[in-house]
Amino acid sequence: MTISTLSDWTGEVGTVTIGATKADGGTRSGTVTIGGERDLAFIGNPPTGNRPLIAYELCDDPSLWPAPVIRFLGDRASDPAEWARFAAGEYRPDLIRLYLTSTRKRGFSAFAAITTTVENILQATGLPLIIEGSNDPELDSEVFRRIGEAGEGERLLIGTAEAGRYRSIAASAMAFGHLVIAQSPIDINLAKQLNILLREIGLPHDRIVIDPYTGALGYGFEYSYSVMERIRTAALKGDDDLAMPMISSAIDSLTVKEVREADPSASDRTSVAWELYAMLPATVAGASIVCVRHPSTIQPLKAAIEALWSPPGGGA
Amino acid sequence: MPTVTFLPGFRKTELPSGSTILQAAQQAGIHMNVVCGGLGKCGKCTVYVKSGRYDFDREKYGKFFTPEELEAGACLACQTSVLGDVRVLIPEESIVQEQKILIDVMGTTTELNPAVWKYALRLSPPSLDDPSPDLTRLLWGIEKSGGPNEGDIYAPLEVIRRIPRVLRESGWRVTATVVLVPGGYRLVDIERGDTTPACYGAAVDLGTTTIVVFIRNLIDGSIMGVASNYNRQISCGEDILSRVTFARKGGLKKLQALAAESINAAITEAANNAGIDRDHIYEVVVAGNTIMTHILMGIDPAYMIEEPYVPVVRRYLTAAASRAGLEVGENSGLFIFPAVSDFIGGDIIADILASGMAEQEDISLLIDIGTNFEVVLGNRDWMFACAGAAGPALEGGEVLFGMRANAGAIEQISLDLETFTPAYRTIQHTKPKGICGSGLIDLLAELLRACIIDRTGRINTAIEHERIRSGRQVPEFVVAWKGETGIGKDIVITENDVKALIMSKASILAACRTLMKQAGITHAEIARIYFSGAFGNYISKENAITIGLIPEVPVERIFPIGNGAIEGANLVLLNRRKKRFLDEIARKIAYIELNAEPSFMDEYTGSCFLPHTDLSLFPTVEEMLEKCRLRRGVP
Repeated sequence: MTISTLSDWTGEVGTVTIGATKADGGTRSGTVTIGGERDLAFIGNPPTGNRPLIAYELCDDPSLWPAPVIRFLGDRASDPAEWARFAAGEYRPDLIRLYLTSTRKRGFSAFAAITTTVENILQATGLPLIIEGSNDPELDSEVFRRIGEAGEGERLLIGTAEAGRYRSIAASAMAFGHLVIAQSPIDINLAKQLNILLREIGLPHDRIVIDPYTGALGYGFEYSYSVMERIRTAALKGDDDLAMPMISSAIDSLTVKEVREADPSASDRTSVAWELYAMLPATVAGASIVCVRHPSTIQPLKAAIEALWSPPGGGA
Repeated sequence: MPTVTFLPGFRKTELPSGSTILQAAQQAGIHMNVVCGGLGKCGKCTVYVKSGRYDFDREKYGKFFTPEELEAGACLACQTSVLGDVRVLIPEESIVQEQKILIDVMGTTTELNPAVWKYALRLSPPSLDDPSPDLTRLLWGIEKSGGPNEGDIYAPLEVIRRIPRVLRESGWRVTATVVLVPGGYRLVDIERGDTTPACYGAAVDLGTTTIVVFIRNLIDGSIMGVASNYNRQISCGEDILSRVTFARKGGLKKLQALAAESINAAITEAANNAGIDRDHIYEVVVAGNTIMTHILMGIDPAYMIEEPYVPVVRRYLTAAASRAGLEVGENSGLFIFPAVSDFIGGDIIADILASGMAEQEDISLLIDIGTNFEVVLGNRDWMFACAGAAGPALEGGEVLFGMRANAGAIEQISLDLETFTPAYRTIQHTKPKGICGSGLIDLLAELLRACIIDRTGRINTAIEHERIRSGRQVPEFVVAWKGETGIGKDIVITENDVKALIMSKASILAACRTLMKQAGITHAEIARIYFSGAFGNYISKENAITIGLIPEVPVERIFPIGNGAIEGANLVLLNRRKKRFLDEIARKIAYIELNAEPSFMDEYTGSCFLPHTDLSLFPTVEEMLEKCRLRRGVP
């Protein structure tokens, strides 16, 4: 079955390309392009724009990571490079998203380790990368400079810029040729405001990916859904300051009570279900990149997105 | 009983041990700043206790003071109990000062149709041939002089009691005064001889903070005298809610008396200046907000501040002025403007009348800005109104160096966009002590133009400049260096100040936009924007648009109407035919409750940006800001 639209949209979502191959001055084995939609998600046969992608999230300090994932991974979680190699090789996500959680611990000062970690991840996988740095204005400038430098030429997607602290991240992105995630707390006006602020300090729109922030299922996901939908329709109606692709992460899904308190035997299944059922509707709302933390979520999510993108036996 | 001596000036007062210094000040007739109503929350009633026994919790309230101030004996007057004789220094900042109160010489012309007539009569004395009673004789005389029919005039007992003596002592030459009230014609006075030229009325703006009185000659409409002063209720709490709370706790009578006292004082001052007798004031017209007029009439306002927020009356009120305690002619009339809701009061109806928007076909937007703001959108056929809290930032509250429009307040400021050097003007041209609302609006617009702040109000600390520094908690911009100020410290505006201002302006703009949405109109369809209130007269129209306080319209469409409340009251005093029109306006207004309007929050967030998230609403501001950014280059 194909859903067609009767809407007469005038705008379209801009495209953003993440990663750089040798030809572009990087070392990635391939690049990915998101955005380009001229209609709501999955409308049309084939749908407009680019198929939603899956990013697999990992971190450099697992003490701040959800327990079910750490249990599943065992020792691999202690080495981010090994972790990335394992997840990319066995589960085939489209991108890897590295959180430098070490920077979020009190008294962090190991700036040199950031460079090493980013370089190791770049070695471990050929997938395009998303790197999440610190979220402390005191550290940001140094942390993002390190990230930017270590990944120079790789066209990384770096995050996360917020209205209160966006200058260091944007500065690094502009200096080293990267892209920026702009996050706002589930509010279309605030999302737009941040994009305007970034544009005004010189970061072009085609280097911004919107993160409208995603609440877990049953914990505010419906707000995120409706904001993503509103951002998409605003873009399709021609609002350039909202016409960027979106990224959505199931960041809170594995810390909800239902997952935390699940019977150990059902831990993996519960984790996968919770992530899958948040991230699939996020793509329907308009997210171009959806992110998960349990490796086992990747394949079923990929299959589900594929089924929506080109319905089996369907389509005229 | 302990004696409290206030310095400077050595004013003394005695009161029971355990009383607060604030109570002592009130008793001594010193009006102190008590923004929070004496709850120890605002820190504005700072005093320095120089000697004596007293009790003050330094641990709890220490946050309001610097260590040096504490060392010097700083206390909050409202939280300090007197235990023995004390000497207290009240710094200038803690005393309510003469404020810039707007007194407009009315610009609007209206027909002169007052509700008061005076008739100079020469009556023939009664005789056995002509034995008609004194009152009939008097009323016939009025009818023969062109006044209302004898049978249509009501004479109250107090006047009748005086008739026989006045008639005879004056040799049957008297002046009778007749006033038209809703019940019909009323004989309000009889005087010896010809006093017809002495025929006056008073128009009153009864504000939460200030009272303005105009005395008008009702024969030719001329202005006899003008006076203004503080509403003495300030000693019972500065804002309207604290007054209602005070009324609830059994203070209604006191508040009523203070309101009457404040009006009387202003009337007396104006009458004395004009050299006229208060007894020759025959009508008093009062425009005030809903709570103020209810309190003046002695009507309990307590239920208005609870859901569903209904006022007691939504039509105009009349009474004998003496029943409200007003000291004018004994039988003079009192007319109170109608209110629409708890927050759309007679002052706003007066604004509407003064603006003339209720008579026009074009659509107008009327904005009255204070701690609370009111917005009215409409024309002669329809009107929407809403009200909300803008917070005190635009009046200088909750801003570190914010102040009311008193002497020493920076009221106008511009920045050199290259060097960031400010050029400012203060009220009464004294050394600056702080910044008032109009100055804050200028400053916000200029910081934005200079790219010192971004559109969310964050100060760009990456700019290296001596005036931009990280501050104690948040970044700040130095407006005036210590040496040039009148307070011995740098005057700065902090990032938190800027954000408070943005939130204030956002709530006003969001209210305007909500009404416009309700009416389905765009800013292009707004033919006029009326700014009411003192504030509107002093702010820069361009800067108000630049920061997005009001929708962008060509500046020639913006009209400050000054004190619309007093102007409306004057209009009604001079032209009684406007009275009925007021009830019509009040009935026509559809009140929009912003809290119940789901789109309001969205509009508010959209407005928390300079000038607005939807840049297409402010095309010329955008063009100007674009130029400013290009000039500075990408920071």
